[in-house]
Parts: sequence; structure tokens; C-alpha cells
Amino acid sequence: MADAIVAEGLTKVYNGSVKAVDGISFSVQEGEIYGFLGPNGAGKTTTLSMLTAVLAPTSGRATVDGLDAFKAPHELKQRIGLVFQESTADQDLTGRENLVLAAALFGVPLRETPKRVEDLMNRLALSDSADRLVKTFSGGMRRRLELAVGIIHSPHVLFLDEPTLGLDPQGRAGFWKIITELRKESGMTVFLTTHYLDEADGMCDRIAIIDHGKIVAAGTPSELKDRVGGDVVTVRPLGAGTGLEAALRALPTVTSVTMQDGSFRVKCPSGETLIPKVVGAATGLGIALAGVSLRRPSLDEVFLEFTGREFREDEGPTATDRAVFISRFQDARRGHR
Amino acid sequence: MNVRRWSALTKRELLKIARNPAAIVTSLMLPILYLILFGQGFNFTSFLNSPYLSPAQRLQLLNQYLLGAPDYFSYFAAGMVGFVCVTATLFVGANVIFDKLFGSLKRTAASPATATDIFGARLVAGSIQPVGLAFLVLGLAILLGDVGLSGLHISATVTVAGAAEVVVAILLLSLMFAALFLALGFTIDQPQTYFALVNAINLPVLLTSAALYPWGAMPAWLQGIASYNPITLAVEVLRINFFGDAFYPYAAWVYLLGLIGWFAAMFAVATLLTRRALAPKV
Repeated sequence: MADAIVAEGLTKVYNGSVKAVDGISFSVQEGEIYGFLGPNGAGKTTTLSMLTAVLAPTSGRATVDGLDAFKAPHELKQRIGLVFQESTADQDLTGRENLVLAAALFGVPLRETPKRVEDLMNRLALSDSADRLVKTFSGGMRRRLELAVGIIHSPHVLFLDEPTLGLDPQGRAGFWKIITELRKESGMTVFLTTHYLDEADGMCDRIAIIDHGKIVAAGTPSELKDRVGGDVVTVRPLGAGTGLEAALRALPTVTSVTMQDGSFRVKCPSGETLIPKVVGAATGLGIALAGVSLRRPSLDEVFLEFTGREFREDEGPTATDRAVFISRFQDARRGHR
Repeated sequence: MNVRRWSALTKRELLKIARNPAAIVTSLMLPILYLILFGQGFNFTSFLNSPYLSPAQRLQLLNQYLLGAPDYFSYFAAGMVGFVCVTATLFVGANVIFDKLFGSLKRTAASPATATDIFGARLVAGSIQPVGLAFLVLGLAILLGDVGLSGLHISATVTVAGAAEVVVAILLLSLMFAALFLALGFTIDQPQTYFALVNAINLPVLLTSAALYPWGAMPAWLQGIASYNPITLAVEVLRINFFGDAFYPYAAWVYLLGLIGWFAAMFAVATLLTRRALAPKV
């Protein structure tokens, strides 16, 4: 299968010193859902902005749907769809007017436009609100409209930047159901950025984990989880736990023991059978335990494995904080009209 | 430029204007207040009704100060059109900043629409409103004369060609200021900075024009500056057609040429800045 997206040594440096994206290379096959997973500030949106000709790279090259992303930006924009993480629909226009405008901008043939708009409205459950101003839309409706605008021209490659940010679980599930259907019908390639681990795990064919502008791991979700090496039992001693590490290493089936934030992370093929042995080893050494927990291989573990830190321990405002801020800002704007 | 994209974007702008009547009312309020308060209060022509002045002396003074206008209010009412073109077009730049803040410009910039499509649509839509408002203000100024207040008296016969000159002058002035404010809107990201800059431009431009001042009362150095001011060029076209060309050094088309020059210069700068602002960020 051909590559829909190819990035080679893509780098973005801001203000001459801040490396937001650090020489990343990857490829996405046609028809694939490829996820960029990482915490806030990891470089996800910067990468997506470069691939969609919104941002010029400092160095490196990228081709999308066979076009050089930086040499043919207008042709590229014609072939791709882009769903931003915030609502970009015009608040003072109706849902239908927004879609008709998008159809004109993306060159949907004039004769096909009414049918295409109607179909999308029906499909995305926006028909009843089609002629309402977007400023009266709920968050979920805005997200669906954003998706409709992104796919009005049946793009070959769809870019989704944190598309379900701020949606409740039901809204997220509905959004992904539509994407799955679209992809099944049209074979569209989807590149998405997300910081929702479950979303990346459940939706993506392949994932790249990005941290501090670098891809630290890439593969299918199961490949990545396999690399963790089975279950992880976290053992938290009450005191210093002197001698516990050696005792844990000596237990049968343990593949590795690492220390993190006062806890031992013990990897093994089956955590359930190991836990009684862990407790026994601690008791034998006279070490009281504050807690023992078992974690199945998950992307959270994968992230911890490859970056050395918990996925959500990054500093600064979270995506939820940003969503709340945007929502309040928009409410304030509406209130002052 | 792609005609379909451009017309779709222009329609969007016009819909937004139509759905925001508060902005239209606000744009009208200031000129109405100027007509009713400032225009009536400053209609100093009554001072010329002195028994010590002969009718010939009175006419001579009137023509010296007001270049053929029958009274200050009529002279001033034509000048208010320049004021309307400035105040009504400043919203086009502000709308660009709000569209940046609320994301819709990001959406348009990510589409295949070119900078020319985006700029052209905003320029045209943003210039239609001031032209309409300018004629509303002129109509109101005429009506004021029918309700016992000073009103606009058009003392010359306005020909079809003259009326066309008036429309073109108002349109060119609106286009020129719309281009200027669009350039600022695309370049500046913060509304506070934009409005501060607009205030710093508006008042000096208005006060160095012949929109409000009686020409004969202006010192020679100010007349020199005002002669090249685009607002002066536009309102002189109106005054020539409303009150006759006897006291003007050039025909109306010469002033229109000057306005075309101003618009062309502003258009060139604005398209350059817009292209730069909408290009992929470096």
C-alpha cells in the first residue's frame, strides 16, 4: 500500500532556540488511522500544522497525498480535510451557511453542494439545527459541524487535531463512530493528534508517541503494549524498603524492577500470580507495604516505559483546562454582544 | 482570484453585517449627533447677516470661507460623508481581529482560498456599508432643513454624471480606508492595539482634512496638507457637484484621480501585508 503521508527530518524551531519538533520521520499508509499521542506541548499540533501547510518547517520535508506540503500549499489544501481542536465555524452564520461556504471554498461543484450539505447534516445529526446560528449550538453539535466542514469536499487525507476535546464520553463515542464509518466507506487516511490514551488505543491502526518534539516509540497499539513486557505490579513500601528491590528481582517470572517516586515497578507476564509472592517477600524482610497495585499493559504504561514519566504529569494547563477556557471565553463574548 | 470563493466570502461578510444591526446603528449614531448638535451649533453663517455688510460683501465672505456652499451646515454635511467613510470602515479591520481570536479566519486560511480571495471579499463587503450610510447621512441632512433646523441645501443642479462622480468618490474613499483598516487588522492580533492605532490615525486624518473646517478659515499650511488628504479629495467632489465648481481649482475628475492614486497605494500595501499574514507561519 502507498504512503499517504511521509515526513522526513521534520523540525520546527521557534525563536531560534525552542525546538517544538525535533527532526521526526514517519510515514502513514493510505487508508490508515495514524495517531500522534503525547502530552500538551509535545509537538503534536506543530507537526499537524506543518503537514497541513499552516506552518512552515525550519527544516525537513513532508509529502501528503503525493504533494510536497511546503511547495504546493494550495493544491494540498484542496485535497486534505482539517478539523481543528477548537470551533472555527462562523458563529454568526447558520450550520447550513457554514457548510455551503466551506463547499465553495473547497471547490465542491455548485450542483452537488445542496445534496452534499443535506447528506452531511443528516449523517451528523445536524438537520434539525441546520438553520440555527452556530452560536446557539452545543459543544457536541459544534464538533460535529467542524467535522462536516472538514469532510465536505471528501478529502483524501483527514487531519484531526484533538477532535474530541471537551466532549463527554457519549459525544466522543458518537464522533468516532462517524469517523470509522467514513473511513470504511471512502478509504480515507486519517491522521489524528490526541492525548486521550483510550482514544488512541481503540481507534488507531498505528500510533507514534511524541514527547519533547521527538517520536519515542511507534507501532500498532498491541506492538507498543507488548514492548512493555507484560503486567506491571507497583509495590509501595511504607519506609525505605531496604533489600526489597533485590528480593523482588529474585522472584520467579520477574523480568525487571525499576524504582519510580518511592515505588518499585515490577514487570512480569502475570501480575495476579506474582502479587502473593511480592507480599510474601516483603513480609519475610519485615517491610510493611503501603500498597500493591496491578496494571495491565496499557498505553499509559507504554508512555511511562518510553519517557520515564506518567502520561499526565506534564506541567501547564491541560487540554481540559484549555477547553474550559475557550468555552468560557466564547460565552463571555456572546454575553457582551 | 477565484470568483466563486470570493463571492462566497463576500456573502459571508454581508450576512454578518446584516445580522449585526447594532453595528450599523452605532455607525449612524455619531454622524447623526454631529449633524444635529455640532452642525447646528456651528452654523455660523448667521453671523454674516450683519447690517454693516452689503449683500455682495456677504456673498464674497461666504464664498471665501465655504467655497460656494450656501451655509456652513451644507458645507459640513458634505464633509460628514468623509467622517462616515472613516468610522464605518474601521469595523472591517476589527472583524479580522475577532475572526482571528474566534477561529473562523483560521478555517478560511486553511482552505484553498487565496489571500486575494479573503482580502478582496472583505474589502468589497466592508465598502458597501459606508456607501449606504453616507447616502443615509446626506438624506438626513437634507430632511433636517424640512423640520425647522439647518439642512443641506444643494444649490447646484446635480447631473447624472455628477451623481456618478459622487458615488465613485464615496466608494473610492471607503475602499481606501477599508484597505487601510484591513491591513491593520491582518497585521495586528490584539483588539486593544488595533483600536489604539485606529484612534491615532482617525483623528489626525480627519482634522487635517477639509471635512469639518471652512476652507477659508484654515491657515495656509493646513490648507497645504488638506489638499492632499483623501478625505478632502472625496468631499470636494461632493461639494463641486452640490454647490458648483466656481471656487475650486480643479474639476471633479482631477480629485477622483487623486483618490484613485490613494486607493491604489493603500491596496498595494494592504494586499502585501495580507499575503504575509496569511502565508504559512515561519
